[in-house]
Amino acid sequence: MNNRDYHELFDLVSHSVSRRQMLKRTANGFGYLALASMLNAESLQAAADKPAEVSRTHFPPKAKRVIFLFMKGGPSQVDTFDYKPKLQADTGKELPFDKPRVQFAPTGNLLASPWKFKQYGECGKPVSELFPHVAECVDDICFLNSCHGTNPAHGGAALKLHTGSDNFVRPSMGAWVNYGLGTENENLPGFITICPTLAHGGVKNWSSAFLPADCSGTPLGNASQSSEEARVQFIENLKLSRGSQRVQLDLIRQMNQDLLNRTGPESALEARTASFELAFRMQTEMPDAIDLTQESAATHHLYGLDETETADFGRQCLMARRFCERGVRFVQITHSNTRVQWDQHGELRKEHAINAKEVDKPIAGLLKDLKQRGLLEDTLVLWGGEFGRTPTVQGAGDDGRDHNPEGFTMWMAGGGVKPGISYGNTDEYGFYAVENKVHVHDLHATLLHLLGIDHLRLTYRYAGRDFRLTDVAGNVVHDIIA
Amino acid sequence: MRIQSRTMLIPTLISHSSRLCICLTVMLLSSWCATASAAEENAEPANTPTAEQLRFFETKIRPVLAESCVDCHSADLAESDLRLDTLVGMLDGGKAGPAIVPGKPASSLLITAIGYQDGTLQMPPDGKLSKQAIADLTKWVEMGAPHPESGEAAKMPRKSNIDLEAGRAHWAFQPVVKPEVPAVSQPEWVKNPIDAFILHALDAQQMTPLPAPDKRTLIRRATFDLTGLPPTPDEINAFLADESPEAFERVVNRLLDSPHYGERWGRHWLDVARYADSNGLDENVAHGNAWRYRDYVIESINSDKPYDQFLREQLAGDLLANEGDYRKRNEQLVATGFLSLGPKVLAEVDSAKMEMDIIDEQLDTLGRSLMGLTLGCARCHDHKFDPVAQADYYAMAGIFKSTQTMESFKIVAKWNENAIPSPEQEARLAEQQAKLDAKKKEVEALVAAATTSLKERLKEGEALPEKPETQFTAEEQQQLKTLREAQQQLEANMPVLPTAMSVKDGKIEDIPIHIRGSHLTLGETVERGFPQVIDIPVENKVPADESGRLELSNWITHPEHPLTARVMVNRIWRWHFGEGIVTTPDNFGLQGAKPSHPELLDWLASTFIEKGYSLKEMHRLMMLSQTYQLSSERDPVRAETDPDNKYYWRFNARRLEAESIRDAVLAVSETLDREMGGNLLNVKNREFVFNHESKENVDYNFTRRSIYLPVIRNHLHPVFSLFDYADASVLNGDRQTSTVATQALFLMNSPFLEEQTEAYANWLINQEEDMFARIDLLYEKSYGRLPTDEERARLESFLQQFPTVWRQDHPEADDAAVTVASWQALCHAVLAANEFTYLR
Repeated sequence: MNNRDYHELFDLVSHSVSRRQMLKRTANGFGYLALASMLNAESLQAAADKPAEVSRTHFPPKAKRVIFLFMKGGPSQVDTFDYKPKLQADTGKELPFDKPRVQFAPTGNLLASPWKFKQYGECGKPVSELFPHVAECVDDICFLNSCHGTNPAHGGAALKLHTGSDNFVRPSMGAWVNYGLGTENENLPGFITICPTLAHGGVKNWSSAFLPADCSGTPLGNASQSSEEARVQFIENLKLSRGSQRVQLDLIRQMNQDLLNRTGPESALEARTASFELAFRMQTEMPDAIDLTQESAATHHLYGLDETETADFGRQCLMARRFCERGVRFVQITHSNTRVQWDQHGELRKEHAINAKEVDKPIAGLLKDLKQRGLLEDTLVLWGGEFGRTPTVQGAGDDGRDHNPEGFTMWMAGGGVKPGISYGNTDEYGFYAVENKVHVHDLHATLLHLLGIDHLRLTYRYAGRDFRLTDVAGNVVHDIIA
Repeated sequence: MRIQSRTMLIPTLISHSSRLCICLTVMLLSSWCATASAAEENAEPANTPTAEQLRFFETKIRPVLAESCVDCHSADLAESDLRLDTLVGMLDGGKAGPAIVPGKPASSLLITAIGYQDGTLQMPPDGKLSKQAIADLTKWVEMGAPHPESGEAAKMPRKSNIDLEAGRAHWAFQPVVKPEVPAVSQPEWVKNPIDAFILHALDAQQMTPLPAPDKRTLIRRATFDLTGLPPTPDEINAFLADESPEAFERVVNRLLDSPHYGERWGRHWLDVARYADSNGLDENVAHGNAWRYRDYVIESINSDKPYDQFLREQLAGDLLANEGDYRKRNEQLVATGFLSLGPKVLAEVDSAKMEMDIIDEQLDTLGRSLMGLTLGCARCHDHKFDPVAQADYYAMAGIFKSTQTMESFKIVAKWNENAIPSPEQEARLAEQQAKLDAKKKEVEALVAAATTSLKERLKEGEALPEKPETQFTAEEQQQLKTLREAQQQLEANMPVLPTAMSVKDGKIEDIPIHIRGSHLTLGETVERGFPQVIDIPVENKVPADESGRLELSNWITHPEHPLTARVMVNRIWRWHFGEGIVTTPDNFGLQGAKPSHPELLDWLASTFIEKGYSLKEMHRLMMLSQTYQLSSERDPVRAETDPDNKYYWRFNARRLEAESIRDAVLAVSETLDREMGGNLLNVKNREFVFNHESKENVDYNFTRRSIYLPVIRNHLHPVFSLFDYADASVLNGDRQTSTVATQALFLMNSPFLEEQTEAYANWLINQEEDMFARIDLLYEKSYGRLPTDEERARLESFLQQFPTVWRQDHPEADDAAVTVASWQALCHAVLAANEFTYLR
């Protein structure tokens, strides 16, 4: 079978519909699961007309969409959400067990967190003073304190987190979700990534690889730009007004129709003709979606748009909420301005404080806002970096930590996860995940599960075999599902 | 503990074996055990353990096993199918392979697991054993695993389960045999044997092909197909005027002689070679010399270099004879860039893993590009579908382990480059070096002389000062300064020889099977060689003192190799007809598609070899067939029987590829810079194309053909990424054609289209006074045809309507500006419309 086939789907397709027709139709914005599930019941044409209404999944979804808050560089778990009293007590002492066989760089003895921890909420989760606002939301958050990955370098770890593979070219998780579920709003892409970093995997972290091209993430700007300047490429015509462009588009449409009249019905040409109209509608919808002036002053304040430090990330968070409201399936926002943001090999005290300050209020604002709008129920918010940091010190200044994929914290909120819990543990110093370990593959399996997708069954045939986001791994962490 | 170990082994198996097939997970629980380890484990347990050895086992080993292992790994539970309560169980192993290899602790999974050396395979899961216990177990395996059951446990050879004879029954591994050309219903329709095979199959379906298209359609099709550019009005009119039966043949030959042919078909090859000007993956540094390989490909295609020679150069150019011709030597060195161009995890901390990942990428590319064989699947286990054993993989991997692809594994790692100087450059370097050496000698001599005279000036018993130069005479110091400055000058101006990304033979070695694909669990060493399923005589065994790439290149290009010629003629067919005879051009294995016309494929493959592996001959054959010269019209009746056009009743209309869209826009706008070759990448070799600040460092501001634009992995030029040249990291002989709104946004709004159509409009305005003459020229250049009267009228009305709307936004504009704006909007619409981007 051809690599362009929607493999399982092919068997379901009636003989009267050609494979090519199928592909053209599926390329217009609704997902594979949606299509596969309705094939027996309804005609294809109906599906093409009403993509948003046929979204069915392997089992009832708890989450309908995902917001991934990516903390580029690797925030330190022991300085944020993984409190280790023994680390505080034993600072300066030698780590009493072996360090990993493969390390990014040598590190020294134990280094206590320079920040104080306090318990918050009914759940009593200890959170450091770096995240006072997020701390107010702990009763809505499910902390995964036992995450672990495989790669100690930024590029490999970022690719692993986003695509499930650190050494092969694989589709990103957003692309898989988009492939499986499609978008709920056919005027907007199903997967949007705001201000992504172009280093360390770059586009691979949101690309579709061998999945159909429309599954790929649509970037708004990149990490070198302020979120204020973030736009979808070519979304605006810099020369023509909408009126002039409409006249031009009408001509294009007539010419395309003319060609169709001459060739006879040709689905590829029909789809391309339709894509111009969609593009024109997207030109309206997209600027509207990112127009934050429509939001109240209170909302601006909630997300920290009125403060210099928090404005940039706050805008990303607010845009994410607006995209979610409009039916975008997967929104990723990245905290990485002009450097490897959370990568404090040195100057931990200063830089981690700045980083946390920039995101703390916006993230809490997002959680509160989603909750008050009733969106948190079916929106899964995922927070984390490509790895954590060592509880042992790096550098001479007692002020740095190295990369640590062996044990780190990510958290989820909303979207059907148990609120107010902490799952899994690292060792007493926070170096290795030891209890109820959650591998990156498990995280992917769980994320898909929450969206109603069985990670074993969402497959795509390429180069002679069926691929999955979780490859041959991944266990759903059922214990965290509400 | 039990919960953990259950979840444990699966991720373990995964982390090093991303290529494991997914279908496997279904089988995993029942049957992996039998196939996971391909290695022929010939190690035998110590047959008659001494009493002392047995005591060692009973006092040191059995207690540890009983205490920490057999709860989960015995008859009751046997997690991951592994039992450690019997010797057979340990030798036989579980899903991941044998737990112990007697005498070889480094190859024993048990030892790996208890050592916690592997990121995920760590046993016991709830805590590491004591150092003493680990040392004892290691020693015990070293001793040959003496056990009370030793002797009873029969040797358990872990033979590969690959049945070569059965495997060879697959069509693609059968020898190519030139078939008889079949008889057909309408012999007069047949222009060459291709048509006979096609019509024969159509006859069987009781279908007839469509007639030929008009000549304008045909020349547009052929011109884009062979050069990636539109035909000019002059070329069209010459073809229309030529009424001889050879008219189309003349067009094809003219196009094959055009240097643009190599730019078009070279680009196809670059897709297969996963060409790129940056590394991509984790550390995106510039391939500053990759362009030399790109130019090599274009030149090779243009000169119709025989395909077998083309391959031999790319696999073993550094080892081929060059008759002392430096050009040939350099060309052949550059060719080996093919092996080096893959994406590499350059910041992989574990250098052994990095090396094996790079070798894997080479094997995967080599297998799929040249043989349609997914060799990479056999990295961790025997291939699940194709008759390729894991031992076959490591036989090939040894060849690349013995090849120096990398200069250094220290992160950020560096790939190997070889110098490719001309004799003049070498001579100049030698000359400069000689000057430098002479200058250094002068300095030394002066220092020596001055020191001597200084010593003479010293008082009796006075030691030479620590820095004698400070005590030299002023004159000496001045001389020394001058000399040193001259030396520095020479050093700074030392010529740098040009280099190419390329390989050379490295440390020659056979390598062991990597159990589960991990370099931490090594099995038996495999001699370098080739997959055994390809049953052709290997003329020369891999020599002990060479990598074996030369033999590999001869083996792949052996005329009896069942895959090489088939794969290539299928690629050529795919690029001409839009779909391969085998619709999975990169996979001819059991999971690939079967050929729709197997006899035609074999006829083409044999003819390709007969014609000396000439690509141009194959183009002529295919394009001069009637099958190529069919209309692409849609026909409802035929479409009902064969909607996918599997039987070639029509020509497949298709969208232009990314490069052709861009090149055609430049060509019709008269802005195309036709200069060939050279480097356009403004980032220096090995420097980051993207640093941590995500700033775009690459300049694309050229109007050269698209093949010369830098190919930046992880951030391709928007035209490429939007129009399905999606990823330059993996080979792709079968680009998709997607239809997404962002393509329309590009066509509607990109500055590129704005700029080019402005140039187009100005050119048209200068070219023709009359509106209708301009419209005709616009159509003929853009679509290869003249507009109908209805179209003329429509464009006329656009040219009346648009200015009134446009003037509202530009009240100050004068008439000339309005004219340009209107014609630009018109040109823009014509180029954005489907007729421009579709080939019929």
